[in-house]
Amino acid sequence: MMGLLVMKERLKVLYGRYDGFINALIRFLLAFVTFFMLNQNIGYMAKLKNPVVPVVLGLVCSFLPYGLISVLAAVFMLVHIYSVSFEISLIVGVLLLVIATLYCGLHGGDSFLILVTPILFLLKIPYVVPLLVGLSGSLVSVVPVSCGVFIYYILLYVKQNAGVLTNDASVDITQKYVQIIHSMLSNQLMLVMLIAFILGTLIVYMIRNLSIDYSWIFAIIAGTITQLVVIFIGDFVFNVSVPVGPLLIGVLVSALVAGIYDFFVFAVDYTRTEYTQFEDDDYYYYVKAVPKIAVSAPDVKVQKINSRSHRTPR
Amino acid sequence: MLNEDKIKLMTSISLFEQKEGKHIFPVNRYFKSDYVSKYMIRSFFGYTFSYLLVMVIWILYSMDFLINQSSLESLTALGWRAASVYVVGLAVYLVVTWIVYAKRYDYARRGLKVYMAKLRRLEKRYEFQDKTKELEKGGRTS
Repeated sequence: MMGLLVMKERLKVLYGRYDGFINALIRFLLAFVTFFMLNQNIGYMAKLKNPVVPVVLGLVCSFLPYGLISVLAAVFMLVHIYSVSFEISLIVGVLLLVIATLYCGLHGGDSFLILVTPILFLLKIPYVVPLLVGLSGSLVSVVPVSCGVFIYYILLYVKQNAGVLTNDASVDITQKYVQIIHSMLSNQLMLVMLIAFILGTLIVYMIRNLSIDYSWIFAIIAGTITQLVVIFIGDFVFNVSVPVGPLLIGVLVSALVAGIYDFFVFAVDYTRTEYTQFEDDDYYYYVKAVPKIAVSAPDVKVQKINSRSHRTPR
Repeated sequence: MLNEDKIKLMTSISLFEQKEGKHIFPVNRYFKSDYVSKYMIRSFFGYTFSYLLVMVIWILYSMDFLINQSSLESLTALGWRAASVYVVGLAVYLVVTWIVYAKRYDYARRGLKVYMAKLRRLEKRYEFQDKTKELEKGGRTS
């Protein structure tokens, strides 16, 4: 534990020293993974599928703010979808525009969740999203997360039906819209995931704010269990099949990631909790003070002292 | 000579500006009602735009249904329904906007108070410094 805490302090110092560079690196990685994943999964536009494109776009994005990266990724995704089906790209485009105008105007800070959620789905650890959002954000962030889930299932739909969508020029155009929207909205797996994510976020958020010892750890555990329970219930009720092996691994990895986040953000020592009680004219106060764990990184310097005789004369 | 006290104060002011300035300075130019209504007008246009977009998709979705509606009455009934959805949604969205921006205004006002207090302290320090300088000057010439 001590070693980990020291490492954390060292990382903090490192980040403090090179924060500009590290931020750019994180933005590059996020953008690169996003574009790469999109290319891998729905890379239907041959010109964009070139492996150089994600690298170049990632490099460009390392200088851009997160909002603009989201916009770029959205355009990239729409172009890919457009080459399969104009209809779906129109629907997704409208959805994104509506979210952008209605939601981002009010509460813009967390719109990158719309982008991150589908990416984590593709990386098979989407269950980390409700845990981290519940631990760090506000409850309103459920909105972009839900949109992210919706977008992931649209992408999945495009991926699974790409052959059919490109070849059915004979089908009536209005019939096409009916078909697409119907199959998008009647996706019960998506519904189950949405409920699991919303409930998970709610539970994590509520337990984190309780005044109990180890509330963050309990919140992570409860949120993980909630998601599993909802998915299993959905399994029975809607008869959707979620493969158990990847689900359990994904959930465990997600809980682990949330645990790491907890360690870095909320390191307190519950064994040294102090209670105090006082009053003023209007209130009684029952105060619980939990000390933060503070470690100073050992600063070892080796100083070499040479004797004068070894010095070269100037 | 470096004045540590003043440096600390100025650093804290500058950090505060950097962190909160984006939110609190625009607020300073408006009354609360003006500030909130400015954003409500923006929300109105945003909502109308989104509604129209969704309508386009809905019309494409239910094209068959619309074409088969032969009588004028059923079409007007549909129109009324669309209008009522629009009005109710708009009302809800405007209320949400009002709550969010009223809160934001109050928060920024409080931030502004803190900022002004910091500035006042800095001003006092300057006054104090000037006075000491004057006194020192006076001492030397006489």
